Amino acid sequence: MKKTLWAFGTREVVFAAIGAALYGVLSYATNLLQIPGAGNVSLRPAVAIPMFFGVAFGPIVGFLSGAIGNILSDLLSGYGFWPWWDLGNGLMALVPGLIYLSIKDFRSWGDLLKAEGMVILGVVLGMGIASLSEIWVSGIDLATAISLNFVPAFITNVINGLILVPILMVAYSAIVARSGR
Amino acid sequence: MLVSFSYRPRHSFIERFDPRARWIMSLALLFSIVLFWDIRYLSFFFLLSISQVFLARLTWQETRRAWLFILVLSTMMILVNTIITGGGTIGGVISGGKTLLQFQIKIPLTGWIIHYVLTRERVWFALAQFLRIISIGSLFLVIPFTMDPRKYGVTFRGIGLPDKLAFTMDLAFRFIPTLARDFQITLDAQRARGYEVEKIEGNLFTRIRRMAPLFVPVTMNAILAGEDITNAMDLRCFGLKKRTWVESLKYQGMDYVMIGVSVVILVGSLLLRFVFNTGDFWFPV
Repeated sequence: MKKTLWAFGTREVVFAAIGAALYGVLSYATNLLQIPGAGNVSLRPAVAIPMFFGVAFGPIVGFLSGAIGNILSDLLSGYGFWPWWDLGNGLMALVPGLIYLSIKDFRSWGDLLKAEGMVILGVVLGMGIASLSEIWVSGIDLATAISLNFVPAFITNVINGLILVPILMVAYSAIVARSGR
Repeated sequence: MLVSFSYRPRHSFIERFDPRARWIMSLALLFSIVLFWDIRYLSFFFLLSISQVFLARLTWQETRRAWLFILVLSTMMILVNTIITGGGTIGGVISGGKTLLQFQIKIPLTGWIIHYVLTRERVWFALAQFLRIISIGSLFLVIPFTMDPRKYGVTFRGIGLPDKLAFTMDLAFRFIPTLARDFQITLDAQRARGYEVEKIEGNLFTRIRRMAPLFVPVTMNAILAGEDITNAMDLRCFGLKKRTWVESLKYQGMDYVMIGVSVVILVGSLLLRFVFNTGDFWFPV
């Protein structure tokens, strides 16, 4: 079946919902399990899920997995609703989805490296926009937005993304032929 | 692992309103709040937001986590941005001004001297920032506790989102208990094989990599299930016609009043800010 980058059919609806639900549940679960972090960096491995879904199913699936998933994660954890961070998470997962059509083999080094590069770009864009939004909402200056919001979010998300997205891609390659699509 | 939303029926005044009207009100207030830095206007919005929390009959026990999150975040931002560095941007904290506190600290070994001045303007700006953040936080804090998760899909459809987008939200909510159950099964199965997620050792990178035995099976199983669900929905001609919903929402008189008040507040705020040029940073002389 011919793939299109911005398709939003039944398949994209289902996988966006699954990606969002996975992001929400795994965020909540890893919070609950108190996974030991290191220094100031807490483990937030679930952030790799929407980025992987972007790579595997396209930018729209990535965006919805990130945005809706972040809403669900905050709802489940009881943190309320923060729309600009939901948008940031959505963009963070949309960017890796832009290479969706160019991925031929989820195990090849070339495609894995492409995905890694897009993960970094996605985190910079998504967390950057969310952090800059805090300037408009909270009235903080650029230095505070970068140091208090962007840097911690960038570090955790990029490390989790760079490690777990390739692992998920290799695992997915084992079942991609099975789907027949 | 039981994963549940914070919502339960409270029979409060807030819950009588249509969810769509509540979202419209919350978004209108959000856009109104961010227009102002004048503490007198922000106090009005703060009272509106906090009264919503009281009308929702929320207890401290239930909302403690959310409040602590908001308070810690706002305190850190205000402390660093306004009190310590004297920053602040859109509000435009005036440089100079009446000094309330000043001192010097000499850094040992380096001989550097830090001269710190806290002015009255900074304190008022910090207060304005605090009111703003708390108002926005409390506006949306009420929603997860007082809005039925089963109605999110039809609510967003009613606000104007496309069918597929609203259904995606609905489906995501419905997947949560299933995925939570699958996660627990996977966790137990891996524990039986000697994998203890709470006792992962090693540096940061090793610890993240060792989350894979938990994440990969749950994710791949969910994707395989997704293929079956996609086929089932295609067979039922999903997406060909306008969708109907099990839950239906109907506006009542009080909902129209709420929407009307929201529009008046938003339009009034825009007029005050851009036509009458009021609402900028203010402090009592």
